[in-house]
Amino acid sequence: MIRYIGKRLALMVPTLILIMAVGFGIMQLPATDFVDQYVLKQAAIGNTGMMDQAKNLKAEFGLDRPAPERFVLWVSNFVKGDFGISFSDLRPVGAVIMERLPATLAVSFLAFLLSWGVGIPLGVYSATHQYSAGDIGLTIFAFVGVGMPDFLLAIVLLVVAFAATGHVFLGLSSPEFVNQPWTLAKILDFLSYAWLSVIAVAFTGTALIMRVTRNNMLEELGKNYVVTLRAKGLPERVIIWKHVFRNALHPLVSIFGQVLAFLINGFAITSIVLNLPTIQTIYLQATLRQDVFLASTILVMIAFTVVVGNLISDVLLAWIDPRIRYD
Amino acid sequence: MTDARALADVSPIDLEAVSSRPMAVLSVRQLMWRKFRRNRLAMFGLVVLIIMYGLAALAGFVAPYGVRQTHAEFPRTAPTVIHFVDADGKFHWQPFVYGMTRAMDPKTFTLASKEDTSARYPIQLFIHGTPYNILGVLNSDVHLFGVEAPGKLFLLGTDTTGRDLFSRILYGSQVSLTVGLFGVVLALVIGASVGIVSGYYGGWLDEIVQRIIEMTLAFPQIPLWLALATLVPPTWSSVQVYFAISIVLSVLTWGALARQVRAMVLSLKTSDFVRAASYANASPVRIMYRHLLPSTLSHILVIATLTIPSMIIGETALSFLGLGIRAPMTSWGVLLNEAQSVQVILQLPWLLSPAAFVVLTIISFNFVGDGMRDAADPFSR
Repeated sequence: MIRYIGKRLALMVPTLILIMAVGFGIMQLPATDFVDQYVLKQAAIGNTGMMDQAKNLKAEFGLDRPAPERFVLWVSNFVKGDFGISFSDLRPVGAVIMERLPATLAVSFLAFLLSWGVGIPLGVYSATHQYSAGDIGLTIFAFVGVGMPDFLLAIVLLVVAFAATGHVFLGLSSPEFVNQPWTLAKILDFLSYAWLSVIAVAFTGTALIMRVTRNNMLEELGKNYVVTLRAKGLPERVIIWKHVFRNALHPLVSIFGQVLAFLINGFAITSIVLNLPTIQTIYLQATLRQDVFLASTILVMIAFTVVVGNLISDVLLAWIDPRIRYD
Repeated sequence: MTDARALADVSPIDLEAVSSRPMAVLSVRQLMWRKFRRNRLAMFGLVVLIIMYGLAALAGFVAPYGVRQTHAEFPRTAPTVIHFVDADGKFHWQPFVYGMTRAMDPKTFTLASKEDTSARYPIQLFIHGTPYNILGVLNSDVHLFGVEAPGKLFLLGTDTTGRDLFSRILYGSQVSLTVGLFGVVLALVIGASVGIVSGYYGGWLDEIVQRIIEMTLAFPQIPLWLALATLVPPTWSSVQVYFAISIVLSVLTWGALARQVRAMVLSLKTSDFVRAASYANASPVRIMYRHLLPSTLSHILVIATLTIPSMIIGETALSFLGLGIRAPMTSWGVLLNEAQSVQVILQLPWLLSPAAFVVLTIISFNFVGDGMRDAADPFSR
């Protein structure tokens, strides 16, 4: 088991380096770079003086050196914890990301909790009340959940919330709290805003977990040991939660990584639509502006989460099901 | 459910009837179709998809107006109400619409359309209107339905410049429904070839390919799509952008497919028919192409069907953000792009209607894919 984890961890290193290379490489493909874009924009508003400074700017950002050299330099600094600087902010990438990390993590974590915390009980209910009105309603909900892109749901929720409360829940906190430190009042305010984004982000994952739970539960409920347990006169609650549910848990653990990927994918566009102060929102801006280090660092961070999520999922699976052997 | 149905299916066999009847032999394909047909959700999905693709192909005929035809007098107009009973309370079998006049609302000082009950326009079938072209071959100006010229029929209202949304959704489906198909075909060709070759040869080649696939699977899909979509130069023509976006959508998808195909090939490799072929001196290419590919084909098609929805979502999301398909080309994502702000949606809620088409299509593809997955193995219960 430890050998297996070690092997997986060893494999993560080249994977992440490849992702760094691709993330970095994509930014090099256009003929222009950040400085060219910047100079063009300045020229468009009449500031032609910037053209003479382009060369100096490029030298300052290191953009005059060949791309492979810059990549090697970036990776070697990355390992030491220096992610480079954000061209558009003129601040270290680490600082830009740290500023947005709490909100990103808070929404992701809440969405993750919500999708499992709601998806599993609903799935169990759906399976134990098969073909009841509740089950049919939940099934429809699940199909819509999987079919509805998260960002569309975000818009619909936004409109419904506005119609109900007269308040536009864009962003993650009321305007007066935007640049304030995290006090209790701000946290309460955050929660009153975040519910919308959290629901939008968690919707697809919840639907997926619900369907998988339902299918597994139904499969387990049809097995002979359930008949035996019922014949022994065990209360239904014990049969469901202590026996059937435990056996139905395995496939759920194996989709752990998939749900995580869903959350990240859904989160990326939902953040942009709802204008959340998360790293996904600056990722798009950074990509558009060719802010190389910022965009590549965020891409690597997201990929890292997916890779670690898959690893956790495999390890958990081996842990709860001793029949699974790894070599 | 399956148990109950299986019991019902096993009725006592009338041996005499069986022996006297000529034996019916069903091919695997027929068995699959039988199994698929029994799945009601899958059949529903299939019917919806056939209608959707039919509408997309015949967009010019079904849409009452052209894709770029603007009705400058009627921007931001709500869906036209279809009446059966006129102002005098008289019932008409033929549904009709009233003419519209635009007038300044004295309270809000905004222009609003009002029904003019003096002019009645019955909805007619096969009416002459804007000329169009179907699939590049057929030119016509006959529309499935419509109203006589001064009358207007906006089934889903108009956008901010006065274009009929229903017509634009139909034209947009031509892009939205095919961009994913093209992407899936690309992913299929790459994924299936890589999977078969890697599974068949095995060894170090397989090892390397597997590691590469694992890396592609670790990639965050939508962020990478965003990055790739920003690369498409603004000077490209609509057709170039269209193909670029479908290539972007297929970039990561082939990995998952290659992995599943490889797993199937690994188990098929040692089966008798493959051994027989190799003892008969069939070349590796022939074995892969004539023996392994057909055996994995049903499975490949299932994965393809289940992959299309994520590609449609991808196209919609990219176009919604203004990074995918661009005007003058129209897609559902492009149409939704207009419905980005809460204020706009509150005033013009009908602008969200393309979303219903997106959701219906994705659900249908999922139903059909699930049904195909069950039908792909017709011998299981």
